[in-house]
Amino acid sequence: MSFWTMLTTMADGMLKTILLFALTLIGSIPLGMVVVFLKKSKFKPIAWLTEAYIAVMRGTPLMLQLLVWYFGPYYLFGFSTRGFKFPALLIGFILNYAAYFAEIYRSGIDSMPIGQYEAAEILGYSKFATFMRIILPQVIKRVLPAVTNEVITLVKDTSLASALAYSEVFSLAKQISASQTSFLPFLIAGVFYFIANYVVAWIMKRIEKSMQYYN
Amino acid sequence: MKKLLALGLSVLTVACLFTGCTGAGQVLDGDGMVNEGGTRVFRQGFDLDYPPYSYIDDNGEKGGFDVELAQALCEYKGWTYEAVPFNWDAKDAELNSGNCDCIWSGFTRNGREDDYAWSISYSDNTQMIMVPDGSEINTLEDLTGKIVGVQTATSAYELLNDEEGQKELCDTFKSLEIYDTYTIAFNDLQSGGIDAIAIDVTSGQYLMSTKAGYHFLDEALGSEQYAIGFRKDDTALRDEVNEALQALVDNGTYDEIGKKYPEIYEFLCLKPSEK
Repeated sequence: MSFWTMLTTMADGMLKTILLFALTLIGSIPLGMVVVFLKKSKFKPIAWLTEAYIAVMRGTPLMLQLLVWYFGPYYLFGFSTRGFKFPALLIGFILNYAAYFAEIYRSGIDSMPIGQYEAAEILGYSKFATFMRIILPQVIKRVLPAVTNEVITLVKDTSLASALAYSEVFSLAKQISASQTSFLPFLIAGVFYFIANYVVAWIMKRIEKSMQYYN
Repeated sequence: MKKLLALGLSVLTVACLFTGCTGAGQVLDGDGMVNEGGTRVFRQGFDLDYPPYSYIDDNGEKGGFDVELAQALCEYKGWTYEAVPFNWDAKDAELNSGNCDCIWSGFTRNGREDDYAWSISYSDNTQMIMVPDGSEINTLEDLTGKIVGVQTATSAYELLNDEEGQKELCDTFKSLEIYDTYTIAFNDLQSGGIDAIAIDVTSGQYLMSTKAGYHFLDEALGSEQYAIGFRKDDTALRDEVNEALQALVDNGTYDEIGKKYPEIYEFLCLKPSEK
């Protein structure tokens, strides 16, 4: 197998990695915000449930969660798993990452001094307006570095999808490496991840810069 | 106290660096073998997820036909046996870096003839298609438009991707799903995610012995031999192992161990030498 064939074969896996990565981000970044509100809910049972959800998502291996989402419906209700692979992957990744994002957002929200809320109240802001116009913009600014970390981890975590026979770039690298008795595919995969994360870091840096409107 | 601990740790690290971290009292000698107080250490590299050749047995111990045979071989030669379970994807790195002396784990020689120094073949193997009972698939042609599962880096996978093998057949599938382990693939077959599994006959029989309701198609995908793969320049060790293997066949040990694994017994292909 020539280097070029190797590269084109793996390009397919790269696209699959990027697809899974992008859809997970689109789903989990907003969902994380919802989770924070649920966790901060005044209605205690909802807050407890959310806390349990976060504990399970963070406390068990993502690979195990993927297997549960995929095979769970079959073992519990006898549903066929046909065609359910990609949905199961998305559910698993989005719910897992939403839990992490929620905790990052919470760290940002909790770091806001209480005085800002009091000042906003005196100035006549509603609770909703206080959050949307005063708190949230500052929170976004504060949590960006932590979010970047998480996004970069996500790029690499997509390789866990191989547990459900999803041919993303790393499982392709393993397959080609085994059949060609060569380490080159791993090197190609490594370079791919590095470039992908470099792009992620660059984009996040641009966003951080655009938020530095006070300094 | 903390300073003392830090000092102790750094001394330990440095000491480890100097001894090359091969473990206490072990030295690499000329042909890649390890000596320990005069006795040789034979390190068998294998996949722990490849029953019945090598796996974790019911008692939680490393077991399997290959593991037992290697242990018997070491006993015969007076060598110290050492198990080196590895990730199958990293087998070449493990072998070439000297972490193990051989790959001995239901390892197919066909198609890899030039990549390793091969021992004599000790087991035949056939690749089959496994389907659930009552499936509408009865011949290889019936697989057209179906979803077939296979474990990555196995001989069945290689065969389906080989132009001279069954690539043509593979192209008629709706898709070929590549799993990390057959366990997951088998789960997916049970839950209806895929229609069939391409698998070595021995591994397949092992899976079917754990759960009823599955059978092989009559027509085989292909056939091949299992042997032990050594580093290409390590023919001295290879020759020694070959000799010892034949001796184990002649004294009945090979047959004895084989009987413990009925699912592969009929495929063991070494015969006692004629005298």
